[in-house]
Amino acid sequence: MQQNFKSSYNVHVVRILLTFVGMIIVGSLLRSLLLPSEFGDYGHYRPGAVTEEANREMRNKTNDSCLDCHYFVKKIHLKGVHEVVSCEVCHGAYSDHVKDGKVIGEMPVYRGEEIKSLCLRCHNKIIRARPPESIKMIAMPEHLEEKNVRTDHVCNQCHHVHAPYKWIKEAREMMGLPEKWEGGSSWKK
Amino acid sequence: MEEITKIKKEIDLDRRGFIKKVLSGAIGGSLLLVMPATAREIAEQIPGMKEQTDLFIADKKFAFVVDITGCIGCGSCCIADKNEYQVPDGHYRTWVERYIIDDHDEVYVDSPNGGLDGYTEPRDDIKNPIRDTFFAPKLCNMCENPSCVQVCPVGATFRTEDGFILVDDKRCVGCSYCVQACPYSVRFINPVKHTAEKCTWCYHRVRQGMLPACVNVCPVHARKFGDLNDKSSEVYKLLHEPHVISVLKPDMGNKPSLHYLGLRREVI
Amino acid sequence: MHEILATASGALGYVFPNDLHVHWSLMIVLYPYITGIVAGAFIVSSLYHVFHIKALKPLAKFSLLFAFAFLACATLPLMMHLGQPGRAMSMFLTPNPSSAMAGFGYIYTAYAFVLALEIFFIYRVHLVKRRQETTGWQHAMYTVFSMASDNLSERSLKLDRKIISFLAAIGIPMACVLHGYVGFIFGGVKANPLWATPLMPVIFLLSACVSGIAGIIVAYFLLRKIAGKSIDMDCVRTSIKFLWGFFIVDFTFEMLEIFSHGYMATAHWHTLHELLWGPLFNSYWVWQVMILSVIPFLLLGYVSIRKVSDSLLRIIAPVASVMILLQVLLMRWNVVIGGQLMSKSQRGSVDFQPHWFEKEGIFLSMVIMVLPIIILYVMGKVFPFWHDDNQSEV
Repeated sequence: MQQNFKSSYNVHVVRILLTFVGMIIVGSLLRSLLLPSEFGDYGHYRPGAVTEEANREMRNKTNDSCLDCHYFVKKIHLKGVHEVVSCEVCHGAYSDHVKDGKVIGEMPVYRGEEIKSLCLRCHNKIIRARPPESIKMIAMPEHLEEKNVRTDHVCNQCHHVHAPYKWIKEAREMMGLPEKWEGGSSWKK
Repeated sequence: MEEITKIKKEIDLDRRGFIKKVLSGAIGGSLLLVMPATAREIAEQIPGMKEQTDLFIADKKFAFVVDITGCIGCGSCCIADKNEYQVPDGHYRTWVERYIIDDHDEVYVDSPNGGLDGYTEPRDDIKNPIRDTFFAPKLCNMCENPSCVQVCPVGATFRTEDGFILVDDKRCVGCSYCVQACPYSVRFINPVKHTAEKCTWCYHRVRQGMLPACVNVCPVHARKFGDLNDKSSEVYKLLHEPHVISVLKPDMGNKPSLHYLGLRREVI
Repeated sequence: MHEILATASGALGYVFPNDLHVHWSLMIVLYPYITGIVAGAFIVSSLYHVFHIKALKPLAKFSLLFAFAFLACATLPLMMHLGQPGRAMSMFLTPNPSSAMAGFGYIYTAYAFVLALEIFFIYRVHLVKRRQETTGWQHAMYTVFSMASDNLSERSLKLDRKIISFLAAIGIPMACVLHGYVGFIFGGVKANPLWATPLMPVIFLLSACVSGIAGIIVAYFLLRKIAGKSIDMDCVRTSIKFLWGFFIVDFTFEMLEIFSHGYMATAHWHTLHELLWGPLFNSYWVWQVMILSVIPFLLLGYVSIRKVSDSLLRIIAPVASVMILLQVLLMRWNVVIGGQLMSKSQRGSVDFQPHWFEKEGIFLSMVIMVLPIIILYVMGKVFPFWHDDNQSEV
């Protein structure tokens, strides 16, 4: 194997090492170019993400926001036990309804049997897990039988959905039976 | 304004009939035209938040308390959450579990569609008399030692200096490692964005002085949110007075900032 | 609800609503399987280059090429799995120091360099000679592959030999790190009682060695048969002994892990018991343990201890190796998929059936497993597999 070689005995090793160093340099250059701005200033993350999350659109507002316009509902809703029930849970998110001060969509209003199933979502006695001190529960159709009404009645024929005792209290007042009710002018029990 | 007075008069004349008409939509449409639909500034539910313009919230340490003894399982929180984030079906940023324990100590748990549709049916597979029943709402535990942040390979999920764990959906690679690592299974991969998602305690709402959507809608005040640096806050009092209060899976060592009032050992 | 049907095909007991999805599916089964084969094949080469097991000489070069072909495909299943594969470079850009997964990019790259360099130095004489023999594009290709050096002097070759020993030596701990680390990705997930055990990296590493050796034996038989070349039975006997040795330790640790869990019987054991005697019973106890571990264990033991004839060994060696390859694949399945079948509710489990044609389905898995074989075939055109392939040796 005695012959003359053009390259030196270790040139391939040197070239590999140079390639390696070159790759590290290119790699670190690329890294500094591609790294998101301010990354790592507060921790191992992009601070911009905090601002983006903070600026997310608020889709649900509060009952106050809804009742600001719907003041006739306000007069009823805030006087009854259902004042704690959120408008948007039954009627959908505020931002689907109003945008930049303009009405952009109609919100669902439940009727008939839909109302019944909505009521029973909370007031159904057969779901035993409910703490009785938090909520009044009834069984269907026993409740209707007990009240001597037809069993095909839906809830809002007797109970105003926004203030469940409103009509009942008014009826009792008309018939001169107000003593069972406390709370003065409100329709809370 | 003239029309409004007319309507007022009508309300006074026949309230019941009027509301009925509104509900059936007869007057509703015309009302929309006259009501001033301006986006009024809503009052802050968490005072002083709107003045905070720094990257992080200063001088506040938020905590979340869920009252197991109060929850009625109505699923309002789940509806509000889905409304707020338009969470794809089959994925849950928050959910409500129903627990039924019989007198043989058999525990029955279910959460059909995460409680989003409410609980309308009783369980009919329970053979023995029932001894205890309750609901347990679940959401992000906002751990002090969050497993998800520990395992995220690219720093796309992180704990902010104000204690919120957030997801950077512009950097998430969708590897699901955080989903595997979270002991509470509050994370999922959004099937549309292909990135990880989870409850943020409504960081965007909090930053604007509003309560988290689920807290805001809870009719029985079973979800409580507040500042532990404020000694007059309800959460401070709950956590600093003798109450039956605990966190989920304490042996995981994650130190959740989500606490449960009246927590039973059956809740995992 | 369609989304749920696509991942979990059914649920038993109470499963957390978000746990109905099996997030890590077939692709994440393949990923540790492929890196395991890489690490194991490298060990075979190191047995010759570092530990001077002379009988393994016929496999020394081939096992490196075999390892490289699989290494080239190791990131494929990961890319297929990622929700945002376009952002995969973030693993290099911003690796989170606390994440068990973030190191993969760098460990994988470093290991790929070591492997490529070792192949380069071992084949340098061949590459330099081919460069002189060829013209046109082939000449250009060999010029790049030989780093444009023509020096084959004794001094130069001596330097090469030193570098080969060095690379083979650091390659062993690196292969162990590569695969032990893959085990740690699972072993470090405290929320999953099946994964969270310090034994996980050890089990992954040992099963990696086993699958690598078995893969090399199968490929050796297959390729030599196809090429119509003789099979070095002495080499096979030695490989089989190593395979048996590694498998004894591997299988022992696998069983030890389950046994310790069962003996300590912590709260987690209840969940694990439900899993191993529930949805995983067939794939774990029946297939992984009884059929694909005990049978090859006995077969390998028999041919290692008893003096069996070459003709019998010619049948038993590839059969046992194929069974071991399947055992390791099933072990990956049972760990990766099995671990996700239990809900973190500790009260229920889901069922999982992979589909043929989905993003992470069976068809694509098969493509990914065939791809290394194609790469190996192409590599064989440039780097001859065998010592008797009419070329000079280092």
